[in-house]
Amino acid sequence: MKMTPKSVIVGSVLILAAVVFVAVWLPYVTRHEKPSEIFRTRTPVEEEGRLIYIANGCVYCHSQSIRTIDWGVGAERIAQAGDYIADRPILLGSERTGVDLSQEGGEHPDDWHIAHFTNPRYVRPNSIMPAFAFLGMDQLKILTAYVQGLGMKDADARMERQRYWKKKVTEAYEAGPEENVHWLNEHVPQGWRDVPNPYPTTEAGLARGEKIYQDNCFGCHSPIGDGMGPAQPWIYPPPFNFTILKGREISGGILYYQIMNGITGSAMPYFKKELESEKIWDVGNFVAVYFINQSDANTEPRGIDASYEPGGFKPPQQP
Amino acid sequence: MENQNVHIPASGYRTAKGFCLTSAFWMMVATFMGLLGATELIAPDITENIGWLVFGRVRPIHINLVLFGFVTPGLMAAAFYYIPRLLRTELYSETLGVGTVVLWNAALVGVVVSLAAGHTQGREYAELIWPLDVGVVVVFAMVFVNFVMTVATRKEPVLYVSVWYALAGVVLTTLTYCLGNIIWRPDTGALAGIPDAIILWFYGHNIFGLLLTPLSAGVAYYVIPRAVKAPLYSHTLSLVGFWALLVVYTHIGTHHLLQVPVPTWLKVISIVDSVAMVIPVMAFLINIWYTAKGRLGEIHADIGAKFVFTGTIMYFFVSIQGSMMALPQVQRVTHFNNWVVGHAHIGVLGFAGMIALGGLYYILPYLTGRPLYSRFLADFQYWMVLIGVSGFTVVLTIVGLIQGNAWLNGETVYRLLPPVHIYYVLRAALGLMIFSSALLGFYNITRSMFFEPGESS
Ligand code: HEC
Ligand code: HEC
Ligand code: HEM
Repeated sequence: MKMTPKSVIVGSVLILAAVVFVAVWLPYVTRHEKPSEIFRTRTPVEEEGRLIYIANGCVYCHSQSIRTIDWGVGAERIAQAGDYIADRPILLGSERTGVDLSQEGGEHPDDWHIAHFTNPRYVRPNSIMPAFAFLGMDQLKILTAYVQGLGMKDADARMERQRYWKKKVTEAYEAGPEENVHWLNEHVPQGWRDVPNPYPTTEAGLARGEKIYQDNCFGCHSPIGDGMGPAQPWIYPPPFNFTILKGREISGGILYYQIMNGITGSAMPYFKKELESEKIWDVGNFVAVYFINQSDANTEPRGIDASYEPGGFKPPQQP
Repeated sequence: MENQNVHIPASGYRTAKGFCLTSAFWMMVATFMGLLGATELIAPDITENIGWLVFGRVRPIHINLVLFGFVTPGLMAAAFYYIPRLLRTELYSETLGVGTVVLWNAALVGVVVSLAAGHTQGREYAELIWPLDVGVVVVFAMVFVNFVMTVATRKEPVLYVSVWYALAGVVLTTLTYCLGNIIWRPDTGALAGIPDAIILWFYGHNIFGLLLTPLSAGVAYYVIPRAVKAPLYSHTLSLVGFWALLVVYTHIGTHHLLQVPVPTWLKVISIVDSVAMVIPVMAFLINIWYTAKGRLGEIHADIGAKFVFTGTIMYFFVSIQGSMMALPQVQRVTHFNNWVVGHAHIGVLGFAGMIALGGLYYILPYLTGRPLYSRFLADFQYWMVLIGVSGFTVVLTIVGLIQGNAWLNGETVYRLLPPVHIYYVLRAALGLMIFSSALLGFYNITRSMFFEPGESS
């Protein structure tokens, strides 16, 4: 084959044209334009927030693309083509230095996001996400509005839930500590309230609890458990002060349930994706022993001891 | 040195020299931005409250400068030298060429300023705002005119394979750049929804396939036979490699979207032909390697050829790895994590970057008529880049496997941050090495160009 300038240039352009026809134009004309069942258009302030998201390169650390194999935030719903039809540009992302944000709307209340954007380490001590305080509070609020819309109709439903419970937790908080504790306990299912921490307090368990506390909790609840962590100025109702809980019938089960499930409406997140069972018991007991100064670990009613438990074997009393 | 008395045309190779300096200078800036980004992943508050240095702005600056500031100009420098030489003529217009270099650099300054200020279209590899898009298209068009007119005034009837690659690379990049940046929509530079993702990755993938790869192949086809003083192994393989590259590479961009709701038939094509990439890749590599067979001593003796040859080996690795990554079962683990970042660095730095540096060091003595200022420094840079990019591969692959497998097991991103921290530290350390090598390179290249040779070691 003789390679003339013409054959090189014309040949390669023709090949490109054929490829564009098949791999770009055909998918374009056969594209899927039907909105998915969760689709809605964005509000003007959400659109503005999206521009902030683009300008600051959130897309380099956050995907918006939930796959069938995902477990993390948003994994309840696999992404569909019809979710994206209004996204110009589409912000799928190619790397997950941070989490997927497709369904971020309503995961947390607004105050959590403001604290997190101001400096992510305030609420997530090990985070490597940049601080965005430099944007200023107005911009952060607009950005938060965008993030709270991610997930569209599903996000709206979650936001409705957040707002409903935000009102309730705020009322309870403002009614004073006595009322607040009462209200919080009341919203833990009875079964959990009756359960003491079934495992004995051990030095190793407390050490694990402390590490978990430092990795997850101290930004809000503070190193001494009084709720005055660095995130406190942005969060309302403020992070819980554990030191007032002594003598208020806080069972291991209550602590476990609150940590596992979070307190929707307040900034208290659920940790069930982050912490497995042993870790939740350990951090709960750490809080009980060090901050509340009262732990029901290993008290009655108890089931059969777990096989690893230290302290020797005592057959249970016959009824 | 044999090239002491080379003939230098009256034009003085000003365009090629300009691109050499462009590449050497922006390599420093580009690798510095990479180092800064890597540091921010270790110590996120190091630039707290400096908005224009926030990670999300540093990263696109790094990537755009590597692609359009360091690698492409380095490859262009060689092309502006070898095209007139291979065609036994002079460059059509050095004035146009120098104008291209000036405009190119102006555009790069625009890239840094606009991205730092948060002016971006938010699409990977297509971030640049519309006026800069136009600038890029104009400079590519200027390069194309210069190449084509040089070809038109040639005295050598036969077009050597390097010239095919340079011509095709420039014309096809101009076209795909316009398409991929949706240049007819100045405000957003984007389509809506899934079609936007498809066209973006068609283009993003072709930045490697129609810009970096053909220009690198052109340099390798020029430097290796010359350095080993042997004829090219096979004309047929050149043909096969060239046409197969254009046919296959151009339509597999959808392998970036295998886990996204795009049409299945498009995914199937992209997977099958990602594996078929072995044809153009091996046609090129066999041709180059057989040309050099038994003559590795000659390659070792020439620092330019040494860079280029190493680049071809990296091409082998990145392509085999890429074909594997296009398999859905593999991508379950590798997608969305640092494995892909490792792949990107083998490709862009190990393959195209190495060849750009090689081309530059190979032509430099011919451009100036005297030997390099320091062969030792160039060798030192070679080892720093080689160790840097190999280290990246090891570190990022390990951390990618940790992330990918842990995620499949239901581990959260947040919980993995402490265990991956140490790998980010290693990555930044390697980045420091690569940045330092860019400083050495800049010193060596400017000394070679502007000063009489020192005591070269
Ligand atoms: C350097 C990469 C990086 C950049 C850039 C980045 N993030 Fe993050 N982001 C993370 C990481 C890591 C996490 C997980 C730890 C945490 O929650 O802070 C995260 C978490 C989040 C979360 C919390 C998700 C959840 O529910 O747990 C939100 C919301 C978020 N980012 C939004 C943004 C927005 C908006 C931007 C742009 C203004 C942004 N991020 C930029 C890395 C990044
Ligand atoms: C983003 C801030 C934040 C983080 C992080 C956080 N909390 Fe909370 N926590 C709160 C807020 C706010 C409340 C509820 C305050 C209220 O309603 O009065 C709360 C309430 C609680 C309660 C409920 C107390 C009760 O009497 O019912 C427990 C227990 C608790 N947190 C434990 C933890 C633990 C353990 C961690 C770490 C694993 C943690 N929290 C992390 C903000 C946070
Ligand atoms: C046979 C050749 C190749 C194949 C089949 C291939 C395949 C792939 C695949 C499948 C991905 C996507 C990974 C993912 O997101 O999960 C990818 C990413 C990438 N490849 Fe390659 N590759 C090849 C060669 C190259 C070369 C030669 C270069 C550089 C010159 C390169 C540079 C990149 C870059 C920079 C990315 C990252 C894109 C991003 O930002 O997400 N590849 N490649």
